[in-house]
Amino acid sequence: MTPERMARLVAAWVRFYTRRQPPAAAQRRREEIDADLHDHIAHEREAGTGERRIALSIAGRMLRGMAADASSHRPLVRVGLATAIVLLVPVILSAPWSLADFIAAGVLVAGSGLLLEAAARRPHSLAVRAAGIVIGVAACLFGNADDAPGLVLFGCLLIGATLALAVRTRLRSE
Amino acid sequence: MPRRKPGTLLPLEKEILRTALSLRGSFHGFGLAHAMREQSGSRALTAHGTLYKALGRLEERGLLSSVWEDAAAAEGRPRRRLYELTGEGARIARAEPATAPSPRVAARPA
Repeated sequence: MTPERMARLVAAWVRFYTRRQPPAAAQRRREEIDADLHDHIAHEREAGTGERRIALSIAGRMLRGMAADASSHRPLVRVGLATAIVLLVPVILSAPWSLADFIAAGVLVAGSGLLLEAAARRPHSLAVRAAGIVIGVAACLFGNADDAPGLVLFGCLLIGATLALAVRTRLRSE
Repeated sequence: MPRRKPGTLLPLEKEILRTALSLRGSFHGFGLAHAMREQSGSRALTAHGTLYKALGRLEERGLLSSVWEDAAAAEGRPRRRLYELTGEGARIARAEPATAPSPRVAARPA
C-alpha cells in the first residue's frame, strides 16, 4: 500500500469518526489531519524513507489512535471498530488473504469481542462461559484442520481466558 | 476522556507543553509530533486522534492558542493550523519538571 492510499484511509477514518461532531469542529479536525499527513509523507520522503515504511508508519499512528477512539464507544460499536482494526492489519501488510479468510477472521474476532463484552457484564452467566469454550474449541479444530497454528493458539487462549474468568468469578463469590 | 482531578494535566498534555516551550514560537501538529518523538527518543509518532484531541483540550483551557496559516504561505499544500503557547501555558510548561515521556496512546480519548 502506498503512503497516499494509507493517507486516504486515515482521512476516511477521520470523516467517519468526526461525523457526529459540530460541522466546524469536524472540518477543522479533518483539515488539520490532512495537513499532518501531507507533512508526514513529505518529511519521510525527504529523509529517504522507503514508501512501504512510510505507509506502515502512517498506519501505526492510525491504528493506535483508533484503539483509543474505540474505547469510548458503545459496546457494539467498540467490537465493530476493534474487529475492523484487526482486519486492517492483513490489508496493510498486503497479506494473501482470500475473502473467506477475512470473513472467518471477522466472525472469530467479532464473536470473541462480543463474548468479552458479555463476560464483563455478566460474569456469572453459564451461557457466556459455554460460548467461550465452544468458540475456542472451534478455533482449535479449524486451525488444526487448516494447518493454522495462529488460530489454534487463539482458540487455546480463548479457552484459557474463559476458564480463568470462571475461576476468578467463583473465588470472588465465595 | 481519562478521569482526572480538576485543574490537572495528563502526562501527554504536559509533554506537549514542554515540547512547545522548547520549539520557541508557533508550531503545527506534525512538527510537534516529530519534536516529541525526537525528544523522547521514541520510534513512534503520537497517534493523530490522540495528539489533536490533546491540543484541542489545551486550547480550551487557554494554555494554547491557534490560527490557520495563510493560504499563500501554504504554497499548494494543505494549510496548517499553527499553535502557540499562551502566557499561562508557558508558565505551566516552565514549572513542569522534565519527567519520563508519556505513553504514545492515551487511555481514553476526549
